[in-house]
Amino acid sequence: MLQFRALLGQSLLVTGMLLSLQSCTTSVVVEGTLPTPLVSIIPARMGVYYSDKFRYFKHEEVIRDSGGWSIDLGKQNLNFFQNLTKSLFVGVQEVGQPPLTSEEMQGLDGVFIPKIEKYGFLTPSISGLKFYSASIEYRVAMYDKAGTKIGDWNIVGYGKSEGGMFSSDDAINEATVLAIRDGGARIAIELIDQPAVQAWLQSIGEPSQPSAAPLASAERNKSPETIESAESLKSAESLKSAKGVESIEIPESVDGVPDA
Amino acid sequence: MGSLMRNLLIVFFWLALLSGCVSSRIEQSRDAATGIMSNEAIVLLGRASYNEKQAEEGFTECIADILSQGDNPIRLIDQKQFRDDLYPWFEPRTAPTSADELGKLFNQPGVQDRISSVNVRYLAWIDGDTITIDSGGSMSCTISTFGGGCFGMSYWEEDASYEAAIWDLKEMTSTGQISADANGTSYIAGLIIPIPILARPGNAACKGLAKQLREFIVGET
Repeated sequence: MLQFRALLGQSLLVTGMLLSLQSCTTSVVVEGTLPTPLVSIIPARMGVYYSDKFRYFKHEEVIRDSGGWSIDLGKQNLNFFQNLTKSLFVGVQEVGQPPLTSEEMQGLDGVFIPKIEKYGFLTPSISGLKFYSASIEYRVAMYDKAGTKIGDWNIVGYGKSEGGMFSSDDAINEATVLAIRDGGARIAIELIDQPAVQAWLQSIGEPSQPSAAPLASAERNKSPETIESAESLKSAESLKSAKGVESIEIPESVDGVPDA
Repeated sequence: MGSLMRNLLIVFFWLALLSGCVSSRIEQSRDAATGIMSNEAIVLLGRASYNEKQAEEGFTECIADILSQGDNPIRLIDQKQFRDDLYPWFEPRTAPTSADELGKLFNQPGVQDRISSVNVRYLAWIDGDTITIDSGGSMSCTISTFGGGCFGMSYWEEDASYEAAIWDLKEMTSTGQISADANGTSYIAGLIIPIPILARPGNAACKGLAKQLREFIVGET
């Protein structure tokens, strides 16, 4: 009987420990390398504004079966964009929140503002796949010297990583770093090719050669979450309703289309 | 006691013989002559995709380990370093999908210089994965205050299918493809203790692909 009580006590202790583990929050401070892009430089001197939300971006979420998650990607994301913008423009200077005065705009051709619109991640237990994945939806806006919007674009970065049973935080870290890189790659390669950017560069007397990059492959390799235009989004929806397709991927965002 | 030990040794001997029953097939197609100087290097890149199928990082590392060792080691560039050095041109959505795109890529500022500085001659794209194609049997394990044990048998059959597409970065052409397929069935027999008899088709595909890749690159000039 004493043995049974001891066993029962041990079982309760183990169950309690398992329950407390279940309710734990996994904290991830995203860290990764900061590659310097090898791309055509946009011949403009830009002010760059990073909001506090962008600088200290943290995603918190509670997922049933896998507990709470706190993913701090602000520092890595900020460092990445500081590196990216330095390589993307002839000159870069961090500025305060627009609108800026003519004194503050002195020596600058425009302002570049990146934002994080959405961040999301999936664990294998949710997706049913063997990968952890993360996606970041950026919105980048560009303004000219007078404060008129040149354009803004939504870009979705996507990353995935294999994960072991005991390294979910490492896998989320890697997937997030890859998502930041993916979004950054789209900005680095495609921003210069946007007609609004080309027209603005012409207007400031700095015409620039489009990238002439092998973008055909970039088009082919798009993740299922992203498409290029609002028209194709509409046609995907009409396809679903017209043909009764149940499992078609409806993109959550539209990228590459300037609003201005 | 002595006879028990002897019986156990016999059981483990037979299990060792039974383990790892894998059949594999390697195929190669060559488009151009190859050859590598001792100061030249190759880089192995896992081809990323947005579906579940993607070569595991461990598979690429396994090939890299084999190629960089042995009697005739080949100089390898770390794939993460290569992707960083050539960012953003070898990311999953921006990487060239055929050797025909290399010309345009090399026109990008700094790309040609960066590749020349590390003297990368060949780029091998590794694609494929290992999947479970069949499984069955049943095994149950019980634990109680009087002890425990497992009884029954379960099995699963895995198929490893990988391909390496090799590009010559000096000539900017595709030089050929090598494919490796391996298939094996693993078992777990529950005889009080669970006894695994594991086949490793992924490992067999790695070894086969690495051996063939070395011969492909070094062998014919």
